[in-house]
Amino acid sequence: MLNMKDVSKIYRTESVETHALREFSFDVDEGEFISVTGPSGSGKTTFLNIAGLLEEFSGGTYELDGCNVTNLNDRERSRLRNEKIGFIFQSFNLIPELDVFDNVDVPLRYRKFSSAERRKRIDRVIDLVGLGSRAHHLPSQLSGGQQQRVAIARALAGEPRFLLADEPTGNLDSQMAESVMELLEDINRNGTTIIMVTHEKNLAKRARRNIFMRDGCVSNNDSALHLAASSA
Amino acid sequence: MEIGPIWRAMSRNKTSYLLIAMQIAVTMAIMVNAFSIIQERSRMMARPSGVDEDNIFYLSSIGFLPEFDGRSASEEDLDALRRFPGVANAIMTNTVPLQGGGWSQGLRTEPGEEIESIGVAVYFVDEHGIDTFDVNLTQGRNFAPTEIMMFDPDANGARWPDKIIITQAMAEALFPDSPNDAIGRTVYIEDDLPITIIGVLQRMQAAWKEWSGVERAMLVPMKRKQNSFRYVIRAEPGYRDELMPQIEKMLAEKNTGRIIRGMTTMTETRERSYLEDSAMIKLLVFIVGVLTAITGLGIVGLASFSVARRSKQIGVRRALGATRPAILRYFMLENFLISSVGVVGGALLAVGLNVWMVHAFDLTPIAWYVIPTAMLILWLVGQLAVFGPARRATLVSPAVATRAV
Ligand SMILES: Nc1ncnc2c1ncn2[C@@H]1O[C@H](COP(=O)(O)OP(=O)(O)OP(=O)(O)O)[C@@H](O)[C@H]1O
Ligand SMILES: [Mg+2]
Repeated sequence: MLNMKDVSKIYRTESVETHALREFSFDVDEGEFISVTGPSGSGKTTFLNIAGLLEEFSGGTYELDGCNVTNLNDRERSRLRNEKIGFIFQSFNLIPELDVFDNVDVPLRYRKFSSAERRKRIDRVIDLVGLGSRAHHLPSQLSGGQQQRVAIARALAGEPRFLLADEPTGNLDSQMAESVMELLEDINRNGTTIIMVTHEKNLAKRARRNIFMRDGCVSNNDSALHLAASSA
Repeated sequence: MEIGPIWRAMSRNKTSYLLIAMQIAVTMAIMVNAFSIIQERSRMMARPSGVDEDNIFYLSSIGFLPEFDGRSASEEDLDALRRFPGVANAIMTNTVPLQGGGWSQGLRTEPGEEIESIGVAVYFVDEHGIDTFDVNLTQGRNFAPTEIMMFDPDANGARWPDKIIITQAMAEALFPDSPNDAIGRTVYIEDDLPITIIGVLQRMQAAWKEWSGVERAMLVPMKRKQNSFRYVIRAEPGYRDELMPQIEKMLAEKNTGRIIRGMTTMTETRERSYLEDSAMIKLLVFIVGVLTAITGLGIVGLASFSVARRSKQIGVRRALGATRPAILRYFMLENFLISSVGVVGGALLAVGLNVWMVHAFDLTPIAWYVIPTAMLILWLVGQLAVFGPARRATLVSPAVATRAV
C-alpha cells in the first residue's frame, strides 16, 4: 500500500549537493510495523518526510494507497496527509497554547466533521492513550511521556491508515519509552500500519520488520538489524 | 469555524494581543471623535452666507482731506461703479457676512426695556442692497429709493428709518408662533422706536460666524453721513478678478481726497474666516492618518513576530493537514478577533470620550453611523496589515515539523 520505486532526494545548497535518498525502493504492506534504523544523516527523516508528503522528491515514483502522489498539488497533498497519515515527532510538537483536547482537535478541524463527531473522536483517542482525566491540561502541565501520548492521540484521531513516527521515544526516559512503545504496538495490532524511525535497537527489534539505512539507501533488510545489534 | 481554539490560544497569551487591541481601541476613539469634530467644523463651514460669494468683492474708502465730502463722493462713486462695465451692482454698506466686524442691534416685539430683545446684525443699504448681495427676497418687497433715509449722526434727526427687511431666521426668532406672517408687523428698536417689517430674506449671515444667531440679520435703508465707508460690488459672473484692479484705479483717480484700502473678495473672506477650522480639520486628518498607520504597522509587527515565533507550529499544522489557505485564514481570523476586541473597546471609549467632549466643549454628539464606519475601517486596516505576514506563514514548509528544533 506504500510503494516507492527509485525515489531520490537531492538537497541543493549554494555549495553542496546532498543525496539524502539514492534510488530508494521500498514497499510496505497493510498492517506492517516497520522500524527504520541507521546512522545519523543516512536519510531516515528524509524518507519519512517523503512518505508522509511533507517534502517533495527529486526523482522516482511513489504510490500511496494506490494513488500516484508525484503530481498532486498542495491542497491534495494536504488532504492526504490529513486523512491517511498520522505523524508522531521526536519533540512531540504539541501546540503549547492549546490544551490536550484542542491539540487533538487540530487535524480534525481541517476536515468537515460535525462538532459532535469531533468530540466523539477526541474523547475516544484521549481515553485510548489513557489521558481522559487530563483533557484540559496544557502541554506544559504534562510529563514528556504524557505529551507524546497526546501527540499519538492527535495522530490517531483522524483514523489514519499510517502512522509515521520519527524517533517517538527519543526524548523520553526508558520507562516512558516503554509505555509509548506498548501503545504503538497496541495500535498496530488494531490494524494501523506503522513506520517508526528509532535509534534504540531493542525497540527496533520489536518491530515486525526492520530496515537499516546507510547513505540514502536501504542497506539490507533483516540482516541489518542483527549486524547493528551485534556490533553494539 | 475555528474561532474557539484561536480565542482560547490567544487568551493564554494575552499581553501582546491586548496591547494591540488597546492601540486599536484608542485609535478608534480618537478617530471617531476627530471625525465628529471634523464633521461639526465642516458643517459650520458649509453654511451658505446667503450672498453671491463667487462674484462679490469689497473695499474701503477712507477720506483724509478735511474738505473731503463723504456724501457727495459716495453718490458719485456709486453712480460710476454701477455704470462700470462688468459691474452688476454696487452699494455702500458697513460690512459683509463672515467679515468679522459689524453692527448689531436688538429688536423687540413689544416696546419697553423689560421685554427681552433679540439680537440682529445690521446692514445699512439702499434700494440696491438686495441685488448687490444677491440675497433672496422670499416675502414682501424691496425698499423704494424714496425710503432710503439720509442719516447725519451730528444732527438731531430720527435715528432709525421706519422700515426694515429681516431674514427668515430673525422672523422665526421674533415670531416663533407665526414666523411666516412677519410682513407688516411692527417691532421696536432702541426700546421703543417702532419699525415695520416690509420684506423677508431667505438667508443672510451676520459678520460673525461663531455667533449662535449668525443667521439673524436685517437690512436697514439708511445712508450714514461719514467720510469712511465700504463699497460692496458684485461683478458679472467671471469678471471679478479683472475688475478689481480697474475699480481700484478708477476710484483712486476719481477722488484724490481719500485712499482706497482693503480690496478683498468674498472668497478670501470665507477662507480667512474659516482658516482656523480648515487648519484644525487638516491637523485632525493628519493625526488620525498617522495613528491609523501606526496601528497598522503595529499589527504588521505583531503578526510578523508571531508568524516567526510560531513557524514550527505552522509547520506542524501543515503536517497535520492544514492547506495554505487554512493557514492564511488562521492568521486573518486571529487578527479579526483582536480587532474585534479593539473596536468594541474603541466604541465604548469613543462614546465615553464623546460624552465628555459634548459636555466640556459643547459639541454635538456623534452621529450613529460614525462608530460602525470606524469599526469597519479598523477591521479593514487590520486585515490588510496582517495579510503580508499571513501570506508569509503559508510559505512555511510542513517539513519544519520534523526538521526544525
Ligand atoms: N533541508 C536540507 N537542506 C540540505 N540538506 C539537508 C536538508 N535536510 C536534510 N539534509 C541532509 O540530508 C541528509 C539526510 O538527512 P536526514 O535528516 O534524513 O538524516 P537522518 O537519518 O534522519 O539523521 P538523524 O538520525 O540525525 O536524524 C543529511 O546529510 C542532511 O544533512
Ligand atoms: Mg532524523
